[in-house]
Amino acid sequence: MLNVIEQLNDDLSRVIEGVWRSLVQIRNGVGTGAGTVWHSDGLIVTNAHVLGARGLSVVLSDGRALPARVLAADRAHDVAALAVDVSGLPTISLGDSRRLTPGQWVIAVGHPWGVTGAATAGIVTGAGRALAEMPGPDREWIATDLHLRPGHSGGPLVDSGGHLVGINTIMAGPNVGLAVPTHVIVRFLHQALGSRASADGSTVRAA
Amino acid sequence: MAEVLTEFSTALSGAVEAGGRYTVRIEARRRLPASGVIWSPDGVILTAHHVVEWDSNITIGLPDGRAVPAHLVGRDPATDLAVLRLDAAASSGSLVAAPLNGDEHLRVGHLVLALGRPGRTVQATLGIVSALGQAWRTMGGGEIDRYLQTDTAMYPGFSGGPLVDAAGRVLGINSSALLRGISLTVPVSTVRRLAETLLAHGHVPRGHLGVKVQPVRLPSASAAQLGQDTGVLLLSVEPGSPAERGGLLLGDTIVTLDGQPIRDIDDLMAILTGDRVGSSVSVRVLRGGEVRDLTAVVGDRG
Repeated sequence: MLNVIEQLNDDLSRVIEGVWRSLVQIRNGVGTGAGTVWHSDGLIVTNAHVLGARGLSVVLSDGRALPARVLAADRAHDVAALAVDVSGLPTISLGDSRRLTPGQWVIAVGHPWGVTGAATAGIVTGAGRALAEMPGPDREWIATDLHLRPGHSGGPLVDSGGHLVGINTIMAGPNVGLAVPTHVIVRFLHQALGSRASADGSTVRAA
Repeated sequence: MAEVLTEFSTALSGAVEAGGRYTVRIEARRRLPASGVIWSPDGVILTAHHVVEWDSNITIGLPDGRAVPAHLVGRDPATDLAVLRLDAAASSGSLVAAPLNGDEHLRVGHLVLALGRPGRTVQATLGIVSALGQAWRTMGGGEIDRYLQTDTAMYPGFSGGPLVDAAGRVLGINSSALLRGISLTVPVSTVRRLAETLLAHGHVPRGHLGVKVQPVRLPSASAAQLGQDTGVLLLSVEPGSPAERGGLLLGDTIVTLDGQPIRDIDDLMAILTGDRVGSSVSVRVLRGGEVRDLTAVVGDRG
């Protein structure tokens, strides 16, 4: 029988390999951020702070580089929706970010310091609005013990089943990595994109 | 659930215990001691180059609590590895050589432990493999067979210690000096190759011209003539160096070496391998817009 660590190794590597398929690079003319494919018809979510003043391009997991346009951006919640002209993209299943509890295992995948697809694992420190010393009044966050670095921004934070629970956003102090919860992104997409988001949001499971 | 967690916890402590049998303390600098790995039962110890400030009067803290003298066999700053050997009398006794994991089955996400022994006891941090990649070259020109980055925390004194797998086998030697702020591991295959070279020669021969260079775009006429867009400009030529003896001058732009196009620093490094030390190579340079062909004898940087 496999030792428990070997079983965990298999699960961890399989989850990360699944996440890679819907992880993209976002180039803003200055640096590289990360993004997550939300819908197979080319809808990608990322952080608003990843958007630069200049032209955006997206590099898909299969290596294709495509120009991207901004559909909507919400600076207050640091989320943005991008569109690339392509279909059949691999999407990621959505998790229930409202039910995250401290101690749950999470994995952040992105391009820290330009290392493509690098993964880091840790636990949820806290989730919701009632967290001390978080940026932005009354904002909802997922706080983790992950060390997020330049290049992580906009990339997926997944739970132990590989379901998207948030997008990695910023550090609060030296040891707390913050992600915008998936349900905040769902709300943003519905408000910003209206009927289009309904169609795009069809992958959202009842939460 | 608690049963799985307990099993996990027990497995982790088992891996640390196994790794602790070959993880040693290295006292070879004024500051905090660092860590090393028992490589062979006859007393060969692997550690990081940057934690070894002294060539002799080195003390190794063994897992059984003994503190024994050792000396430097060789070091390679480019890959940040050093080989030490316990002084003859000290190596008698039960040394446990580290079991190695050739890492063919390693995948991103696998759980790994970084071990260190800066004090009397072994210490451990847990993380996962963050990134695996192709062979790469360090700033100093050292060839590392595989990029291996983890999210393990490197505590003070962990440099030179092992990265270990679930079974307590060595995946590589940790270095905090190769890329600052990133937990990098020199993989077993590279450590093995470097250890053999250092045990045989005491240093790693690397080709050397004695120049500082910067990649530059060639003037369009030269680019068309030579069939390449870039070369490397000589920013300095060391007195008495192979380059100076070969007639290279400050301001020359190297465009080929030994007939191979030199477009960037990597091209240059790839040709200046250790086996070229002592051999003559043709050097084509652009000087004042004119092509000149020179010859240099490759020196040894090692």
